Amino acid sequence: MNIHFKTAFDYIKRTPFQALAATFVLAITFFVVSMLTVLVYSSGQLLGHFETRPQVIAFLKDEATPEQISALQTRLSGDSRVKNVNYVTKEQALSIYKEATADNPLLSELVSPSIFPASIEFSLSDLSFAETVIDETKKEAIVDSVGFTANLGSENSLGDVVTRLRQLTFYIRVGGGALALILAGTSFLVLVVIIGMRMTTRRGEVEILDLIGATPGFIRSPIIIEAALYALVGVFIGWLITLLLVLYATPSLVSYFGEIPILPKTTGGILGMFGIMLAAEIFVGLALALLGSMLAVSRVRAR
Amino acid sequence: MIKLVTVTKRFGEVNALEDISFEVEEGEFVFVTGPSGAGKTTLLKLLLREYLPNKGQIFFDKVDITQLRDKEIPSFRQKIGVVFQDYKLLPERTVRENVEVPLAVIKVPQTEWGARVDTILNLVGLSKKAEMFPSQLAGGELQRVSLARALVVNPKLVMADEPTGNLDWDTAETIVELFEKINKEGKTVIMATHNRAIVDKLKKRVIELKDGKIVKGKNKEETK
Repeated sequence: MNIHFKTAFDYIKRTPFQALAATFVLAITFFVVSMLTVLVYSSGQLLGHFETRPQVIAFLKDEATPEQISALQTRLSGDSRVKNVNYVTKEQALSIYKEATADNPLLSELVSPSIFPASIEFSLSDLSFAETVIDETKKEAIVDSVGFTANLGSENSLGDVVTRLRQLTFYIRVGGGALALILAGTSFLVLVVIIGMRMTTRRGEVEILDLIGATPGFIRSPIIIEAALYALVGVFIGWLITLLLVLYATPSLVSYFGEIPILPKTTGGILGMFGIMLAAEIFVGLALALLGSMLAVSRVRAR
Repeated sequence: MIKLVTVTKRFGEVNALEDISFEVEEGEFVFVTGPSGAGKTTLLKLLLREYLPNKGQIFFDKVDITQLRDKEIPSFRQKIGVVFQDYKLLPERTVRENVEVPLAVIKVPQTEWGARVDTILNLVGLSKKAEMFPSQLAGGELQRVSLARALVVNPKLVMADEPTGNLDWDTAETIVELFEKINKEGKTVIMATHNRAIVDKLKKRVIELKDGKIVKGKNKEETK
């Protein structure tokens, strides 16, 4: 075994509780980071779903001509605030209605296409544009009425919907990010303290190595390897717990969220996502270990 | 091989060494003697580039080591084997591992370590104690491990700071005989000691220091 790895393993064996403390803190950090990553991904998917589904439906008057409809479609498609513009004919509307009432055929038998208005559905690039766009659309001569479909629960007004979505986004992305940073900072400090203690107990050894011509890199190597081992084990434990939790919860989540793809649909997709996450976390973990050990070594050597 | 030119080292107001000049040729065996506080250890630390002189130049193989940059110091020290009075062994490593460390430092392939360490341990008579820890060895044995560690990298120069300081006469004599043996094999040896009996026995060149100045042995011909 390489002398640096052997030295690092010897240190770990000699102080198992320090090693456990470092690994445990890193495992908690990367568990939270992994959970937050999944949450950010899922919330992104959730918001994406709400943003891309038809949020505004402009019901058209019966007398609207194809040219007028086409002109309105073109105008909306050219509007940067609007996306996914889709024209729904009376027949398509009936078909959608029949599909929605498939479990009660009597309801669909009683209606004809003529009672359903044609409509233009579209979503918004940002929900804050909703009120303006709806007001503008209402003023169109061929538009009879405008409906707004985005609704997350108990909100009564458009303002409530926008506020709720913004709050969700803020809490998950910024709050989660801040929590991850605090935990990463704590892990960093724990690493610095533990490696600093290690360097202090190794002071005599460092002096001897220095006198026999060891380079600073040679002296630092076991320390950096030790910190990297803590980081790798911590990352793997945190990541593995998250993966197991997600795999365990996936059936319930899929059943609860239905058509909303908050997680990749296949096991391969989930494993792919977690593979990328593991690679990124290993990178971050190793960076923490490297920086922490370098800082600890330079502080102790400077004393 | 080594040349000191008007070297002065001060610690505050105290002159540890003052205007020291001498040369040591390759293959020489030189004792540095003098009472405690004469400057022997300071001289060796200057030669190992642990200290920088306040004045003067120190040449090793025609390179002024006082001008070395920090990153050049390790490769300079790798050319020198050092034996310390307090052994300076790594307590949590076995005899074999202590001797292996310098080989790792100079990046000798790990496959060569076994043969080199066995040869050196055989030379110093510690083959049977290779797997023991320093705490399990006697003073003379510790000093032999220290010597083995210094020799394993095949240095051009071996420096020893009071290597017999903590040893009884018989053990000290054995250690000094080892130094004489390696000197006969062509290595330059500089040994700081205040053990008059050893100096008298070996009849080698002596540089005597007193109050930081050379009082005898500045030139090779002066004493033997």
